[in-house]
Amino acid sequence: MKADFLDALDRHWLDAELLHGNERWANADHLYGFAAESGLKGLMLEFGMPIDETKDIPSNEKDRKHADAIWARYESYRSGHHKGADYLLPEPNPFDNWRASDRYASQSQFDQVHVTPHRRGAELVRELVKKANLEGLLT
Amino acid sequence: MSTFDQILPQIDQALRPHAENLASIGELVINRDLNGRVRLLVSESVRSNETSLKIVNAIAEELTDRLGKHAYPADRAVLFEEDPAAVCAGAPSFALAGFANVRIVDRLATEVDWTSIAPESTRAPRIVFFSIKGGVGRSTALAASSWALAQSGQRVLVLDLDLESPGLSSSLLPEERRPTYGITDWLVEDLVDNGAAVFDDMIASSPLSHDGEIYVVPAHGKEPGEYVAKLGRVWMAKHSVDMGKESWSKRLMRLISQLEDRLTPDIILIDSRAGIDEVAASCIADLGAALVLLFAIDGEQTWSGYRVLLQHWNRAGQAQAIRERLQVVGAMIPDDEGRIEYFEGLRERAWSTFADELYDLIPPGESTAERFSYEEADESAPHYPWPIRWNRGFASLRSLHTRFESVDQAELEAVFGPLLAGINMFSSKENTAND
Repeated sequence: MKADFLDALDRHWLDAELLHGNERWANADHLYGFAAESGLKGLMLEFGMPIDETKDIPSNEKDRKHADAIWARYESYRSGHHKGADYLLPEPNPFDNWRASDRYASQSQFDQVHVTPHRRGAELVRELVKKANLEGLLT
Repeated sequence: MSTFDQILPQIDQALRPHAENLASIGELVINRDLNGRVRLLVSESVRSNETSLKIVNAIAEELTDRLGKHAYPADRAVLFEEDPAAVCAGAPSFALAGFANVRIVDRLATEVDWTSIAPESTRAPRIVFFSIKGGVGRSTALAASSWALAQSGQRVLVLDLDLESPGLSSSLLPEERRPTYGITDWLVEDLVDNGAAVFDDMIASSPLSHDGEIYVVPAHGKEPGEYVAKLGRVWMAKHSVDMGKESWSKRLMRLISQLEDRLTPDIILIDSRAGIDEVAASCIADLGAALVLLFAIDGEQTWSGYRVLLQHWNRAGQAQAIRERLQVVGAMIPDDEGRIEYFEGLRERAWSTFADELYDLIPPGESTAERFSYEEADESAPHYPWPIRWNRGFASLRSLHTRFESVDQAELEAVFGPLLAGINMFSSKENTAND
């Protein structure tokens, strides 16, 4: 199936919110990470991230990462784009302690305190995507 | 096929059949994005209200049909927001004439858009020297004005904001007095919080003044350095996660405020870039100028340019905020027997531009006294050009500093008399108001 980063942001976010509302911390946490990753990759595309069209994945291996690593990659593309100054993300990366492999961890290790910064991180990405949408940066 | 200029009339046409029902939607924001494509922004509550949603969708479809490439497909043409008005914050916007609760929001690639006219500065009065075309003697007139103001004992601060075509400082400063840095350096250093490193070395005082002071802040320093590379960064807004966004125009205002703290000038003269340009927009709209001098030579290009600006202010509902601060200056009035005829032509076209775009219409039977309206021949009117006579001796900036060294009041009066009188009157009025 073809990648649609912005749609992926929406569905991961909406499902994460459903799980969060039901205190399903572990899987909500997992989905917030993927929501942020999808949104950032959508913006990176607009800021010039090259894509391997035949495989439908980012050409550069460093861009095929998850939220914990993609936050810094986003910054490289953002800072090189003339509109990028309006799309700053805070440091440090709220997903520093988030790993895709945490999906194998026991759910007893997740709680609201652990999830909250990841939810906020995904929300920040959503706000940037919304702004890009209004400005017509995303086509 | 619709083009950009048809967007507003087409929106008007699309909304008209729904005018009576628009109130039920609440606030309707029409977003024109960076590429000039249009989408509707409505409250999230519309999504769950069948009647309202139907109206919004009908408008969206209509716009898609009417606007062609300036529209989004109907299924992507509506965005729902908790608070549509909040989404507009920071972007220029204006109410769409003829409809309550409809706003147009413009996303521009530039930071400044001429439409939000800042109130007059409460500190030293600021006079902006602007022209639609370059090469009309604007900077020379500014230099002459600073000289005359200083002669009358005032502390004058002169800012060269014609960054793309600097030169003003060369007429006020001899080579050896030029400071190391200029405004461009400060704007670039400020991006990395390093403005203080250049601040002290960007101000020079001109030896031309005897009774007062002329402080000059040039566009660049003695050595321009990597000027093109710096100029490309000057317009950057400053961003920080803690402080948010500060537009370059706000940064410039912060610089002027620091200069005022340091130099306590009585008056500030600002040389603006010519044309409908971003720096000019900032000088005229953002810096809180009390007087904006519009330099004009008679010609189609001049008046169509000024008309574009005045119409833009009208459309954005800002004409009243700026019109009392404007004054036309007749530049390079020929120094021969044709000058009277030339001046009359200039005055007539200035009047017709102002009368069409800025002056109030006077209903039959009413006098002009209560209204912002002037007869063509009224010498106190903002359209009535303050004439500057063309003079070979002042025409070359290169030799201007030497020229000013030997100039006397009578000579200056002969060329710049009405301008100097106008500025003096303005300055004493401002001083009285501030006493």
